[in-house]
Amino acid sequence: MILKSLIKRNTKLFFKDKGMFFTALITPLILLVLFFTFLGNVYRDTFVSAIPEGLSVPDGLLDGIVGGQLLSSLLSVSCVTVAFCSNLLMVTDKVTGARKDLTVSPVKASTLALSYYISTAVVTLIICLVAMIVGFGYLSVTGWHLSLTDVVLTALDTFVLALFGTALSSLVCSFLSTQGQISAVGSIVSAGYGFISGAYMPISQFSDGIQKVITCLPGTYGTGLMRNHLMATPVAKLKDYGVPDEVCEIIKDLTDCNIYFFGTKVDESAMYVILGVTVVLLITALIFVTKRKTS
Amino acid sequence: MTDIIRIENLSKSFGEIKAVDGINFKVREGELFAFLGINGAGKSTTISIICGQLKKDAGKVTVNGKDIETNPDEIKRELGVVFQNSVLDMPLTVTDNLKSRAALYGIHGKEFNERLEELASLLDFEDLLNRTVGKLSGGQKRRIDIARALIHSPKILILDEPTTGLDPQTRKKLWSVIENLRREQKMTVFLTTHYMEEAAEADYVVILDSGKIAAEGTPLELKNKYTGDFISLYNVKEEDLKPIGLPYESIRDGFKISVPDTGAATELILKQPKLFTDYEIVKGKMDDVFLSVTGKKLSGGEDKQ
Repeated sequence: MILKSLIKRNTKLFFKDKGMFFTALITPLILLVLFFTFLGNVYRDTFVSAIPEGLSVPDGLLDGIVGGQLLSSLLSVSCVTVAFCSNLLMVTDKVTGARKDLTVSPVKASTLALSYYISTAVVTLIICLVAMIVGFGYLSVTGWHLSLTDVVLTALDTFVLALFGTALSSLVCSFLSTQGQISAVGSIVSAGYGFISGAYMPISQFSDGIQKVITCLPGTYGTGLMRNHLMATPVAKLKDYGVPDEVCEIIKDLTDCNIYFFGTKVDESAMYVILGVTVVLLITALIFVTKRKTS
Repeated sequence: MTDIIRIENLSKSFGEIKAVDGINFKVREGELFAFLGINGAGKSTTISIICGQLKKDAGKVTVNGKDIETNPDEIKRELGVVFQNSVLDMPLTVTDNLKSRAALYGIHGKEFNERLEELASLLDFEDLLNRTVGKLSGGQKRRIDIARALIHSPKILILDEPTTGLDPQTRKKLWSVIENLRREQKMTVFLTTHYMEEAAEADYVVILDSGKIAAEGTPLELKNKYTGDFISLYNVKEEDLKPIGLPYESIRDGFKISVPDTGAATELILKQPKLFTDYEIVKGKMDDVFLSVTGKKLSGGEDKQ
């Protein structure tokens, strides 16, 4: 009951604070605009040049593949960056003294930590699901080639990535105590996370050393899941137009649908396990840190 | 009266700095206890330890017979704290603020509604229930802060500079509410303040300086021990005062003579009856006590050496 009440309070405060709400919303909006106006064309040209000469692929299918890549990038980045913006309350409570007031009451440190975690996850999930629906709307206009399973799995990926992003941001924010610090961290994460998770640039474009480091980061597998569920079906449809299996597989490699951990291909179930275990570890660390800080 | 708070040999250091250095004191049930000291004297550290927010290095803290080490959650249920700065959630309404606070103590539904009604009537905020806290005045927010601290009917109310920055009328109103609570509910009030006239109303005062207790007692005991009396003498000439040989200063319409105590004042008046035709004797103030004990002046949140 205490947990429920704290979650309600935190969520209410987030949506009542227009500043926090719009800051969180602006990240996916900027990415949407950026991708659909600029990066989309770049990606499309790359795909067109990769298709063997003499083969004709309909524009709708190409747009579906490019749109899938864009939406997967956007969702995998937003689930983390939105979580960092949504977690502002955790730090604001320290600044205003509300945190001190909460710890004067008989609330367990673990309950407090979980309340911030769950409310941030709920907010992040709402915003990212809205971004996902907008993205699906865009795909339905430009070229819809997804199955119902893809849609359901993309929603599941968004859910898992939102849990991951929230756990990561909650742990980081538990060490911050001023709004300046969280703004700085938020800016760094917004700018850098897309690169280190393979969302802005395919992993194959990095040097070998960096590729190895990136494959050690759990966020990469979130991007991989998104890529699979938003791109694999339209890429497979290329075969209907004479594109060889090998080329389709190369496209999947180059766009991170396939991720290789030191040469071994990581399958989807393993990607889910990696993200799930990371979430559990991060939450455990968060509870531990909160307990230490309140004792 | 029983001791509701007992502090024995309490110590706490932050690195090399000894914030609290082996202090001992007791707070009796139902009394108004004033805990004074300049910023950095160790007041907040002591309060944080009592509230279970900081771990002590040494000593024993007992609240209502329970040890803070072994029963922190039970002790937290006995305490209501009003912090120096408002800790209300500004974007939420008064009711939402109090509801979320009440839920932390397991107060819901009908029980909450009844308590809300009771506090709204006691602190006179019935008309503010649906207002957003951020839009309330300083005095209104303070009343809600107090209601928030009282929502679970604590035995001890800790007030950390509760009236700083409030206008005199609001201060007066808040004190009348607090007095009412003490009288009717026998609530113990643990007060830190920079207003010495508020400390003068306390049943017992402890003055902390550099982590140690510099003085303690009732306001009267402290005044008797650390300050003298003052005789304000009117309609006399300065040359008549000089032979007395006591320190004096000029005031409007007369002079203020410092004497060691009331006995000395009486003796002086009996010796010079012709001089004392229009006069008044007052004891030193708590400001004088504080200055005498610590060598520092406490005024409105600023510490002056």
